[in-house]
Amino acid sequence: MSKSLSKFFLIAVAAAMILTACGPTATPEATEVAVETEAPADVVTEEPTPVPMEPAELEIWVSGRVSEAGPPPEDWVAYQIIQDELLIDLELVLLPSSAGDQDTKINTAAASNSLPDLFFVSRDTLYDLVQVGLVAPVDDLLPLMPVRTETHYSDPNRNALVTFDGQMYGLPDPGQIPMTDGLVIRQDWLDALGLQAPTTLDDFMTVATAFTFDDPDGNGQADTYGFCAFIDGSGLSNMGLGPRFNFIYGAYGVAGVWNLNSADEFGLNARDPRFMEATQFIRSMVEAGVIDPDWPTLSKDDFRAGWKQGQCGIMSENFAALANRSNYAAFDENNPEGEWVVIPPPVGPYGDSSEGVIIQTARIYAVSQRAIDEGKGPAIARLLEWMATDGYMLMAFGEEGVNFNLDNNGYITLEGIDPELAWNTSAMQPLTQLANMVYIFTDVELQARYQSHTSLNGRTIEPLAFLAGFSEQPWTEATGSAIINPPANAADFTRFYSENLVQFVLGQQDLNEETWAAFLEGLDSLGAADLEAVAKQDLIDAGFLR
Amino acid sequence: MRIRIKSWDDLVFQILVNGFLLTVLLVVTIPIWRVFIMSITPLAWAEGTSLGLWIPPGEWSNEAYKQLFNHPAFLQAATNSVIITVGGTAINLFLTVPLAYALSNENLPGRKFLVTFILIPFLFHAGLIPTYLVVQKLGLVDNLLAVMLPGAVSVYNTLVMKGFFEGLPEELKEAARLDGANEVQVLWHVILPLSKPILLTIGLFYAVSHWNEFFNPILYLNRADLQPLPVLLRNILLAANINEYLDYDAFARAPIAAFKAASVFITMLPMVIVYPWIQRYFTKGTLLGAVKE
Repeated sequence: MSKSLSKFFLIAVAAAMILTACGPTATPEATEVAVETEAPADVVTEEPTPVPMEPAELEIWVSGRVSEAGPPPEDWVAYQIIQDELLIDLELVLLPSSAGDQDTKINTAAASNSLPDLFFVSRDTLYDLVQVGLVAPVDDLLPLMPVRTETHYSDPNRNALVTFDGQMYGLPDPGQIPMTDGLVIRQDWLDALGLQAPTTLDDFMTVATAFTFDDPDGNGQADTYGFCAFIDGSGLSNMGLGPRFNFIYGAYGVAGVWNLNSADEFGLNARDPRFMEATQFIRSMVEAGVIDPDWPTLSKDDFRAGWKQGQCGIMSENFAALANRSNYAAFDENNPEGEWVVIPPPVGPYGDSSEGVIIQTARIYAVSQRAIDEGKGPAIARLLEWMATDGYMLMAFGEEGVNFNLDNNGYITLEGIDPELAWNTSAMQPLTQLANMVYIFTDVELQARYQSHTSLNGRTIEPLAFLAGFSEQPWTEATGSAIINPPANAADFTRFYSENLVQFVLGQQDLNEETWAAFLEGLDSLGAADLEAVAKQDLIDAGFLR
Repeated sequence: MRIRIKSWDDLVFQILVNGFLLTVLLVVTIPIWRVFIMSITPLAWAEGTSLGLWIPPGEWSNEAYKQLFNHPAFLQAATNSVIITVGGTAINLFLTVPLAYALSNENLPGRKFLVTFILIPFLFHAGLIPTYLVVQKLGLVDNLLAVMLPGAVSVYNTLVMKGFFEGLPEELKEAARLDGANEVQVLWHVILPLSKPILLTIGLFYAVSHWNEFFNPILYLNRADLQPLPVLLRNILLAANINEYLDYDAFARAPIAAFKAASVFITMLPMVIVYPWIQRYFTKGTLLGAVKE
C-alpha cells in the first residue's frame, strides 16, 4: 500500500474518532436529595444602604410566562431602560418549558461552573447547588431591594422553602394563586328538580342521586352524573385520589395526604380511622352510580369535555378552567341555560368541612456564587427592585399607552389600544415573558388576567367571582407537605398508596378495618414510618410544625 | 409481486403474516390518523363533543394550521431544523464514509486496533458533562454546529457502512488503482456510485436523528431564534396545558387539542413523507455485505 493511502486512512480514522467520542448521550435522571431546612430567616426591613451604581453585565435564565411565545424582541423597550437607568447590560435566556429539562440544563451548567448570574430553579436542584457551594446566600441582597422584599419575600412559609442552615439561598417569588379549585354545582339543575344546594354529605348524596337519575337536563336520556372527577394526584403531597376528592376527606377532617395540624399529630392521614370512613363514603358513591363510572381512567381533558357537554352536576374545578372566556365557550354553546355556582364544601358526620389543602408554591430564583464573587450582587438587587417598582407595569403588561391603558380606578383597560398591540394578544406575549417575576396577585393583576365576559344568554361570567367564592370556603393549610422529601422508593410508595385507594373505592378490595390495617402495614413495609419520622424533623426544623 | 401458494400450510402462514402486518399497520396508522383528525377539528366540535376517529365532511377546520404557520417562531424553528438536518447529515456522511471505507480495507495498518478503539466510546460514553465542556471550550454554545458536531460519526452506522463496503468486489478497486487512481478517487469515482443504498439508508438514519434533535439544542442553544422544531413543539404542547388557565387568545380560534395535534402532525410529516421513498433501499443497504461469499 502506498504512503498516501496510509496517510489518507489514518487521517480519516483519527478525525472521525475524535468526533465519535462526542456522541450523544442519554438524559440524566433527576436526582432526589434529602433536604435540611432551618427556621425561616427573618425578613430584613432596615433602611437600604445607598450603593453606588456600577455598570454590570447580567445573564439571567428565567422560565417564560408563556413558554411557546419566545423571548422579548431585541428592540424591547425594557432592555434600553435597564441599560440606561440601571447601567445593566442584560442577557436574557428563556429556560426550556418543562421542569425536568430546566433542571438538566441548570445542572449541566453547574457542573461546568458556568451558571448564569441569576436563574430560576426548582427547590430540589437549589438544594443540590447549595450543598456544593455554587449558589450564594441572598440575605445581604434583601436590604438592597426593600420594596421587593416587602412585596415578594415577606412570607415566612415561602422563605422557609429556600432557607438552609439559617440562610436564605433563593428568592422565593409567589408561585401559583392559592385556592383556585373548588366545588361548583349546576344551579339550573337544582332549580329544574326543585332541590337545594347540599350542605352535608347526606344532602350531597341525595342531590347527586337526583342529578343522576331524575333527568335534570330534561332531555329524556340518562346522560347525566351527579358528580364528576378524575384522578389528579401525584407525588407525596397529592397521591391517592387527588384534589378532586379532597372535599370529602375534608368533611371527615382529614383533607390531604398529611396531617400537619401539630408535631404531635403529624403523620399520614391514612392512619386516622376517619380517612377510611371518607374512603367508604366515596365507595358508596361509586356503588350508587352517582359518579361518572369512567372517572378512574379519565384524563383531565376527558373530564373537561364531560362537563362541557353537560354531563356533570357537581365537580371540583379550577376557576379559570371553568369560567375563562375561551374555556367557557363550549359549555355555553352546549348548555345555554347552564349555570355553575360555588357551593361550600359539605359538612361531614363530625362537623368538619374543608375545600381541600393549601400548598403555597414559590417560583425560586437563585444567585450564583460566581456572580457574587464578581461583585454583581448590587446589580442583581437593582434589577429586581426596579422590576417590583418602576418597571412593574412594563414587565407585567407591556407599555402603557401602547399595550394597555389604565382606567380611572387604576385597572388595566384596552380602551384606546390598537387591538393588535393589546397586551393579552398572542403576538404581544413575548413582551410579558418576565411577568412571573413581578406578579404578586394584586386585584389589578387578577382583573386584567381573568376578565369577565358575557354568556350567550346575556349573563355575566366572572372568573374572579369563582376564585373569590372558593377563597371564602374553609381550607386546610398544608404548605409544609411541599418540603417532605421523597424517599428512594417514592415511586413504589406512591403507587402502592394510590392503587390501594382506588381498589378500595372501586370495590376491588374489601374495605373494612382488617383490610385497612393490612393497607397500613403495606405502607409501613415500604418505609412509611421512617418517612414520617424524617419528614417530621424536617418540618419542625423549617418551622412548619410546632 | 405475486405470491405462489403451494400448500395449505403456506396459505395459513401467509394469512398469519399478513394479518400480523395489517395489525402493525393499524397500530402505527391509527394514532397518526387520530392526530390528523384532531388537528382539523373545529372549535365547536372539539370541546363539546367526544372526538372519534371520524369527522363528518364539511365539519373540518384548518384554523389550527393557520395559527401554527402564523406562529412567530414556527418558520424560524422549521428553518433551523432543516439546517440542522441537512447540514448535520452532510457532515455525518462526509466523515462516516471515509472512516468506513478506511476500516473496510483489510490492508489498513492497525485495522483491528482501530476498530476496537472506535468501539470504546460506543460502549463507554464519556458522559454529558465532558461533552458539554468540550462544546463550551470550542466556543460552540449558541451555534448550530453545537448540535451537528457532537456525534458527527455514529459507530453503529460506520460499522454498517463498513460491512457494505467490504461486500463490494475488491477487483473494482484494484482496477481503478491500476489505472492510476488514488484512494480518494477510488472512493469518489468507484465506490460511492455503487453505494447509493447504503448512503441513503445511513443518511436517513442520521437525518431522522437530526430532525428529532431536542436534548442538545436545549443544552447548547440559549438563543430562542436558534431552537429547532422539536423544542418549539415541546413548548407548544406544554404551553397549551398551562395556558388553559390564562385568558389570552393564542388558542381561542382553534381548540387547544387541535393546535397541539397540528404541531405534532406538521413536525412528523417530513419524515413520514421521506421514509417510503427511501424504504426500498433499506434492506439492500443494510444487508449487502452482511454475508460474505
